Amino acid sequence: MVTDRPVLGADGGRVILHVDMDAFYVSVELRRRPELRGRPVVVGGTGRRGVVAAASYEARRYGVFSAMPSSTALRRCPDAVFLPGDHDLYASVSRQVHDIFHSVTPLVEPLALDEAFLDVGGALRLLGPSPDPARTIADHLRARIAGELDLVCSVGGATSKFLAKLASKRAKPRVTDRGVVAGPGVVLVSPGAELDFVQPLPVEALWGVGPATLERLRRLAIRTVGDLARTDVDALVAAVGQAHGRHLHDLAWARDDRPVEPEREAKSIGHEETYAHDLHSSDDVWREAVRLADAVASRVRASDQVARTVTLKLRFADFVTVSRSHTATSPVTTAAAILDAVAPMLERIELDRGVRLIGISVSGLGERAEQAEQLSFDDLAGEPLGVGDETDGGRGARRPSSHDWETASETIDAIRGRFGSASIGPASSLAADGLRLVRPGAQQWGPDRPVPDRQD
Amino acid sequence: MKFRCEREILAEALATAGRAATGRTGTLPVLSGLRLELSGDLLTVTGTDLDLTIQLDVTVGGERDGGVVLPARLSSDIVRSLPAGKVELDVADDDVRISGGRSQFSVRPLSLDDYPRLAAPASSAVTINAAAFGEALRQVVRAASTDEARPILTGVLLAAENDGLRLVATDSYRLAVRDLPGVSVLGADQKVLVPGRALNELQRVLGLGEELVLRLGERDATFEIGATRLTTRLIEGEFPNYRQLIPASHPNTLTVDREPLLEAIRRVKILARDATPVRLQISADALKLTAITQDVGNAVEELDATATGTDLTVAFNPDYLASGVEAVGAEQVTLSTIDPLKPAVVRGVGSDDYLYLLMPVRVP
Repeated sequence: MVTDRPVLGADGGRVILHVDMDAFYVSVELRRRPELRGRPVVVGGTGRRGVVAAASYEARRYGVFSAMPSSTALRRCPDAVFLPGDHDLYASVSRQVHDIFHSVTPLVEPLALDEAFLDVGGALRLLGPSPDPARTIADHLRARIAGELDLVCSVGGATSKFLAKLASKRAKPRVTDRGVVAGPGVVLVSPGAELDFVQPLPVEALWGVGPATLERLRRLAIRTVGDLARTDVDALVAAVGQAHGRHLHDLAWARDDRPVEPEREAKSIGHEETYAHDLHSSDDVWREAVRLADAVASRVRASDQVARTVTLKLRFADFVTVSRSHTATSPVTTAAAILDAVAPMLERIELDRGVRLIGISVSGLGERAEQAEQLSFDDLAGEPLGVGDETDGGRGARRPSSHDWETASETIDAIRGRFGSASIGPASSLAADGLRLVRPGAQQWGPDRPVPDRQD
Repeated sequence: MKFRCEREILAEALATAGRAATGRTGTLPVLSGLRLELSGDLLTVTGTDLDLTIQLDVTVGGERDGGVVLPARLSSDIVRSLPAGKVELDVADDDVRISGGRSQFSVRPLSLDDYPRLAAPASSAVTINAAAFGEALRQVVRAASTDEARPILTGVLLAAENDGLRLVATDSYRLAVRDLPGVSVLGADQKVLVPGRALNELQRVLGLGEELVLRLGERDATFEIGATRLTTRLIEGEFPNYRQLIPASHPNTLTVDREPLLEAIRRVKILARDATPVRLQISADALKLTAITQDVGNAVEELDATATGTDLTVAFNPDYLASGVEAVGAEQVTLSTIDPLKPAVVRGVGSDDYLYLLMPVRVP
């Protein structure tokens, strides 16, 4: 570290920490399987289309990375131990991690289960005089996460979000030919040292430089962040567009004043799943849609929100992806309401070529309590108008109205709250060994057992 | 095929028939085209998407009989942009030449053989007054749904009712009912469900004549006005029992001038974003309209009005309310309510042949 620079946090300016858990899913698994420590461990699906969700640093030595097909991972590292994902567990550990973050500062912006930005400017002032205040907080966080949760994290600190994220990457353990080398754990970028830190980095280290942008920058002979900084803004704008060009140029000069935004509101809620075997019949697709809609609706209600727009996404065996949206007049909170929107979409899509992935999501979210609700004749008639033909004066079974579904859904939530999410679900999701649940993130590593073919 | 005619006449014909040609080049690409057939001096232009067909006859200076299918959009754009005056259309083997003044276009036709054969309209015909039917459509079609999720509600019900014709439409939030007494189009108890989209198109051409000829078939209906024929597939299925939705009586009735109410709704609507309702505070001698959008602002407007029954506040989607008030053909309207959660009825004072029922918005 350069010593004649001011120390991060000493001048009362902005201090942002990026905390990133090391190999989070794998580390959580190793807590209950300590005998696997030091071995290559992969969390992910082992089914036909399983995908690696996380790999231990030992497995990374063999070139195993997240999002890689499990079959490739197994080829590269035949000794790897494959563990199925346990998303519920990771989510609950993640909550504990985030509780520790919140004990330091209320300004926590979660990025994923295993990483977050923390604005600790206020916490530093509470801490009082300290020779190296940002490091004191970072060490404190690492010590608590290690002591209370038996997990390791890396912390990057700087005056801006993007530099903090780059710094945490440098704090991580590294994989070398000789094995896994522990990282420094904490890397802080002092005020004034930002350009020395960022400009030697390759441009692809910057947020927002993906393959397409990288290719365009290469054509301008830009390889490092420093090259980018020295390039004329107008030339950048011409190459990658107005907003993007200016933004990248700002980053290259370490200008990033985006604030840490706590509790980022989700803009949509959804689930998607990849199936081990392509689904060909509309019955199979419908059954999966019912499961997904039930899970999505549950989350909408749990967040005390209502949705307006329902989106269906289908990916076919040939990887062609289609998506269809419908904006409902009434707020959507139930699986029935989602399926009312999805059913006509499915009717108009040819499923013959085989469905590989189904996704259902809702957007246009608003707070439930503030919603005005357009009432409908459906509620008066006790059935959706113009659907079905039960006009025999109520002798047949009455179709449930949207209001009935809302009441039933509240009961379903209460039952799940008390007896667990597997206690109640759509009848069509019932398999021989119980309810097939939808878990968030399940699509990341694909199904770990094939969806049974229809026998009847 | 070869003919000459005034640019305006051909441009109008292509544009009108073109409204039925489909923009989606999905299953049958030829449906994005218009079929032109010339026999003597009579040119027949047809556009269809198989649900809706618009066909019209125009008189031209024919030179050589024949038929061709032209890309609808392209040919319409070309003819419309030619200089005013005579245009000529000449079909060679695989090439259609469209010329006017000193401009000349050459267009590849679509396959005439692929163009679907359309069924002949039913022979039994009934003639009704075009203007009266047009007014009824104006009042009712607005309440039909555009949501394909409920195909039945995208239709307008035409039913025989008390020696007259009744038109009904609902999108499940509002319901419009219009009676045309003395118009007998259907047999007793006969009813058909006509797609709202077709009736919207019909409204555009109703001004072309005074008499409307209606031919009802098993599966489709044909409307003829002047030299224009519009054929639509009928919607199959049972229209909901709308009578049970209309309350037998309303304890509260508000009477207010139509035009000032419409203007007031339009003004407060500026503050009603997305799903914000407009609230009506009804008291014996005044009506207050408010729209409140959180974090944006609010709008308030007071109107002279008379009311019987109890004071109450009820909220509506401003578009649905304005739509009903606008549809009424009277200087004063009544709004009859039961309570803030039950359907309300909009009627014109002194005109009993139209009813607009709408569901309120429940506000927090």
